[in-house]
Amino acid sequence: MSAILEPYIYEGGIHKHTLITELLEDLGGYLIQKVPAATEVTLVMLIPRDDVHLIEELGKKLLGDLTRAPLTGTEIAVVSPTLASHHLPHSACDVAEYMRRGGANTNMIGLARGMGRRVSLSANYERRLINEHDLAVFSFGTFSDCIRNKKPKLLEGVDIPKIVTGGPSDLKTRDIPNADLYVGGVGRVAHRMRKSGELDSLDVLLEKVIEVVEKMREDLSKDPLAVLPARVMKEIHEQIPEIFDVYSPAPVTLQLDGLRVKLPYDKFHEKVEKLEFDEGLKLLDMADITPSKMKNYILVKIKRESEVGFTA
Amino acid sequence: MEALETFIVESSVKEEGDAYKSIVADIITELVLGGAIGRIKVVVRPEDSLFQMAVLLRGSQPTVKISDMGTVEVGSSVKKEIKISIEQEKYLPELLEKLWARYGRTKVYQPERRTLVVNAQDMDAELDQLKELVVADPRKTLQSRLVEMAIRATPEGFRVRYHSIDDNVFVFAASEDILKPEWIQQAQQIAKELREAK
Repeated sequence: MSAILEPYIYEGGIHKHTLITELLEDLGGYLIQKVPAATEVTLVMLIPRDDVHLIEELGKKLLGDLTRAPLTGTEIAVVSPTLASHHLPHSACDVAEYMRRGGANTNMIGLARGMGRRVSLSANYERRLINEHDLAVFSFGTFSDCIRNKKPKLLEGVDIPKIVTGGPSDLKTRDIPNADLYVGGVGRVAHRMRKSGELDSLDVLLEKVIEVVEKMREDLSKDPLAVLPARVMKEIHEQIPEIFDVYSPAPVTLQLDGLRVKLPYDKFHEKVEKLEFDEGLKLLDMADITPSKMKNYILVKIKRESEVGFTA
Repeated sequence: MEALETFIVESSVKEEGDAYKSIVADIITELVLGGAIGRIKVVVRPEDSLFQMAVLLRGSQPTVKISDMGTVEVGSSVKKEIKISIEQEKYLPELLEKLWARYGRTKVYQPERRTLVVNAQDMDAELDQLKELVVADPRKTLQSRLVEMAIRATPEGFRVRYHSIDDNVFVFAASEDILKPEWIQQAQQIAKELREAK
């Protein structure tokens, strides 16, 4: 097994930032996402634990900041009952932004018919799309009666960890059927969340999500993946150059137990299946490769060691 | 009546009513209705899927004519130009739309931010007509903004709606299920209480 990797975000000037990426490559770390914005750049990366101080020192020299980002390599679904102005952009987008600050990639999902009490429901397609993520954050609004009695039916059929947010802070997780965790103070608002109380609740939400992810990582380490998703990403970058023509912010999105490759399935799934590794293995030997419910993308779910019999 | 002198949002749970009040307040701010509303009371009963609202408006605003927002005078009688000097820019976009529709884009100039020049044939008649030209009717936009506010403030799934605008009283009720007649009566009753309150 390779060195233990730690997730970090570097924020700094674009000038000479390639020194960081080069050093990272030399150390055997992985660059997961690079977001240039005018003269600034944000690098999301996995750094070998023993070498973090090297990157930190170089970052200091370049006047940038290196912060730990525990959600790196996770894909989180932020689910709101619909895409109407009642739920978006406020609160749902603020939640997504906080998840991204933790290093996660987020997808906003608005259900087609999630609004209301008696009439709210989710479609099979939507549930399967949500299930492709590592975990889902649902926003259920202001009223405890709705959160307890009516909205939890939206959680049915979702197998990934489900974190419910809502306005009331006196509700407990056990009050909400099917929910794995409830975080209060993040209800429906019609303004950007910027008051200290609101920001505190978002901080709490982020902390709780990190706890859940750490727990999931721990579970994963008991029966590790046959290959690290970050390593698969590196091989995709090396063997499928078409990935550089994709304009999504994260052409390859990492998940805890797989990755989403944002290339059309029909044209590229064979190339992904035949991805070669130094050990002489192909990706197909270690992973399930299926069409994603999101657009026409490719979803790779990596098998566990117990199933494959080895780790690459 | 002062602006927003009564602003009550009630729910079965008090804290939830307070949280909902912040939503309603934000929507009122967004739609710039703060000055128009005198008293407002909202009752939300999530367990019955019911939303009721009564709004008492402060007397309606008069229509805005060009003479209210600036002066109309002869610019140049040789070139047959009428000059409009704007003092209040608020309704300038509406005014431009009206003038374009009336004279055509080529006949309306804006040499400077607060000055409009219109090329007209019959100067005297046009001068008088322009002074009385109604540029905007705040009452009309107020009504549409009120309805917009009601729709935004209602929980999204409550698609069965009742509303009435009578003089200065706006009554609204919405639910997910069929609206019971007594719910509408209750909403009217809330409006009555607002009107009678001192």
